[in-house]
Amino acid sequence: MLEQYLEANQSRVGPPHPYEQKLAGALTEIFASGTHELPAIITGLNNLGLNAPDGQPWDEARFRSEMRRLGE
Amino acid sequence: MTTETATAAAGSKAAGKGKRKYVVGTRRQLDAAELAATGLRDRWYPIYPSRFVGTGDMVKVKRLGVDWLLFRDATGQIRMLEDRCPHRSAPLSVGQHLGDRVACKYHGVQVDGQGTVVSVPGMPGCALEGRTVTASLAVAEGADTIFAFVPLTEDSEVTGFKLPDRLDNPEISWFSNYAEWISPWRYYMDNVLDPMHGAFLHRDSHSMFGGDTSARFRIRETDRGFFFEKTDQRGKNFDWVEFCRESMDYVDLEIPYAESAGPGGSFGIVGMSTPIDENTSAVFHWRTRTVSDWERDVWRFMYKATLEEKHWAVLEQDRELLEALAADADRGEHLYQHDLGVARIRRVHEADAQKQAAILLDGSA
Ligand code: FES
Ligand SMILES: [Fe+2]
Repeated sequence: MLEQYLEANQSRVGPPHPYEQKLAGALTEIFASGTHELPAIITGLNNLGLNAPDGQPWDEARFRSEMRRLGE
Repeated sequence: MTTETATAAAGSKAAGKGKRKYVVGTRRQLDAAELAATGLRDRWYPIYPSRFVGTGDMVKVKRLGVDWLLFRDATGQIRMLEDRCPHRSAPLSVGQHLGDRVACKYHGVQVDGQGTVVSVPGMPGCALEGRTVTASLAVAEGADTIFAFVPLTEDSEVTGFKLPDRLDNPEISWFSNYAEWISPWRYYMDNVLDPMHGAFLHRDSHSMFGGDTSARFRIRETDRGFFFEKTDQRGKNFDWVEFCRESMDYVDLEIPYAESAGPGGSFGIVGMSTPIDENTSAVFHWRTRTVSDWERDVWRFMYKATLEEKHWAVLEQDRELLEALAADADRGEHLYQHDLGVARIRRVHEADAQKQAAILLDGSA
């Protein structure tokens, strides 16, 4: 009998980093409210008390570069 | 030394005047029902995710009821041979990878990527050397996937390979997904030509919770196939699907995302199913989104972090339903207006099966 290949996660290797999960959760919450514009997303992240990887508040440059890294 | 028996058994030219035609990889004729069950030939199919076959790997896969060997040669080129040694039919997949060829474990016969016997170590100079007697398929790689042209007979002409447009457009970002379902491939096709199941089977999902639970459908011809679409709703659920017949048969569709999926609007799906055998299918999906710049990066991050699992949950709803269907589920049904797409795809495939069976019977066709 076929050993069935059924794998929910095929786009990433291993489980997500807790930091990535937290960031994705925050973005989901922001998007769900209908916020899809870049400045409003950044404000949303800062309002939720999340910092950029360097410990500073998010700004456009930090957000773009972190998304480029995570979304590669 | 080699004999005619060995030649015919190796699936090469069937001897004799009538020139009976055998299906590549089967050493026999198949009737229309068998062709429909194990898969229509003379077209490209997705075979396996590229990532599963690294350089130097040999992987056995069954597709369209035939055992195949996939191996990636030392230059990175993928090769696909029938998994059957030309000598006495041992599976080549249990042999050894020798860079540009494989060596059979049983008596060491070496076969290259085109199916040509390059060495018979037990009997140097044997007439088998230099003969191309193992079936090898034309292959292509793209969209993270290995594709192959599965011929009806050895006389079949390989058609040009073309990726679906949605996977060959720099404006569109995509992720591939692969799954194996214990369900006949025809059930997959019926299911994707039936958008109405979205509002019921997938009501409890991240993407298909909206829209009406009743609709009227129509079929609209396109230059590559046909649309099957709701006449009274678009952009709210699984509201349309296009069946496309290019170098491969596939479906193309779009479904809206919830706001929580972020900027970029609906996602697209390219879907294909390749028969493993009459009861099981290799299912290939590409989830796509037309996004660029930071929106592209955000989608790709969100897909990996959370969305992929939500898409997967939807696909599991399909799999569980289709695997629960009886083997004769498509007999004695009571179809209604929503099933026009199902009826149409069945007619298309039935006509293909009849045509291919006729080619096998009539050697000159
Ligand atoms: S069966 Fe392969 S070498 Fe004999
Ligand atoms: Fe579905």
